[in-house]
Amino acid sequence: MTRWNDGVAELNAVSPDITDETNALPAKYFTDPDVWEMEKEKVFGRYWIYAGHENCIPDAGDYFTRTVGDKQVIVARDDDGTVRAFYNVCAHRGSKMVEDTPMTDPGNMDRIQCPYHLWTYDLDGDLRSTPRSFEEASLNPDLDDSDVSGLDPDENGLLEVHTDSIGPLVFLNFADDPPHTLDEQAGKMKTRLESLPLEEYQLARRYVSEVECNWKTFGGNYSECDHCQANHQDWITGIQLDESELEVNDYHWVLHYTHEEDIEDELRIHDEHEAQFHYLWPNFTVNMYGTADGYGTYIIDPIDEGRFQLIADYYFADPDLSADEEEFIRTSRQLQEEDFELVERQYEGLTSGALGQGQLGPNEHTLHRFHRLAQEAYNA
Amino acid sequence: MTADDAPFVACCPDCAERTTASDPNEVVAFYRRHHAVTGHDVTWERMPSLETDLPADPDIDAVVAALDDSPVALGAVSAAASEWGWTVGDTLDAVHDRRLTGALWEPRDDHVALV
Repeated sequence: MTRWNDGVAELNAVSPDITDETNALPAKYFTDPDVWEMEKEKVFGRYWIYAGHENCIPDAGDYFTRTVGDKQVIVARDDDGTVRAFYNVCAHRGSKMVEDTPMTDPGNMDRIQCPYHLWTYDLDGDLRSTPRSFEEASLNPDLDDSDVSGLDPDENGLLEVHTDSIGPLVFLNFADDPPHTLDEQAGKMKTRLESLPLEEYQLARRYVSEVECNWKTFGGNYSECDHCQANHQDWITGIQLDESELEVNDYHWVLHYTHEEDIEDELRIHDEHEAQFHYLWPNFTVNMYGTADGYGTYIIDPIDEGRFQLIADYYFADPDLSADEEEFIRTSRQLQEEDFELVERQYEGLTSGALGQGQLGPNEHTLHRFHRLAQEAYNA
Repeated sequence: MTADDAPFVACCPDCAERTTASDPNEVVAFYRRHHAVTGHDVTWERMPSLETDLPADPDIDAVVAALDDSPVALGAVSAAASEWGWTVGDTLDAVHDRRLTGALWEPRDDHVALV
């Protein structure tokens, strides 16, 4: 029975049993601004979040910035070749240090310097130097220079954020003591992706769209294909949905789409004769194409409770794309636009306040996992 | 609000991503979000007509003077400056330069006035 907001129906937490009526996340979790505020900590502050692709910062000092909710980090390669992430916040008085720098147009710096009072840090985050005014007390009549103790470089460095990787894909975790390792969160996805030569592919295109719905609305749409027959008629041509499979793991699910006609192995990065769409909780996907020798990633980044940015990156062996690859991306973007129409329409309905708690079908088990993970995060 | 009835419409020529707004500063906010993850600029497609003519040569102070409000929304300045073919990024850079040389000030966040 559907639970309308009619003053009668009782809303419940997401049932672990998909055959129960209350198998979906109540609608308020998609529309309430307070939920988004909660998610900043309970979701985006606790789980591993995709930062970017390390091929974009090949040399020491290369960096980009990544914003997650209210937090921004500098993702940089240090002098030893390690990719690290630091809050983009000076240890002196908290100033933002470097300007927003996208992964598509990375910067390079010998050291990280705050423009406010010129505190300067090594690429490993240690405080390297401060201006003389921090080493003497000439302007303060109550102190002698000898009263000034120097700043310990190790104790006054930048605040580092946990990082880990799946091949060239770099992830962040903002928790002081992350409840899971990236291995635990990514599970089989990590094993599978690390068996592929992802690092041999270069970022060829980035398209960013703003969509007027909650990030979970799009995440849910990505996670099922019951809507495909009616809404992606160009895309499903050549795909056997009835032969396809939706695989669910702990924090990760995969939509395996089988093609009717066999495609040459050279036209895929992976061996299986199918397309694979991996969703990693909470907001990252890896799209392994069935008919193109490349892969893509989506970051589903919330702006607020009612909007998100879809950051779509496309990786190919040669970033100078062939006509076929350009056409492939065009088709992918058409698919996105079709999905944007669907999720904005769904969200418009959700924001009316009529629906209290929807219900999921038996083949929406990937989506059920998604809703359960959200509920689990909120309850933690 | 759709692109057909919005007073302000702007787009990223690289992504073809379009935004519609009732408040011109929403376009500035869109530019900042989009630029932060792509490095792309944003161009204006639609804005209300100005009631006064702007000088033929770009002059950001003249735009601020020509617009009725004081302080005037940064997005409105940018929309007007698009008459010279300026992007949102071009306007924000020009306003920044003029603020830091003492010609403009920002009495309200993202609203500027002549000094």
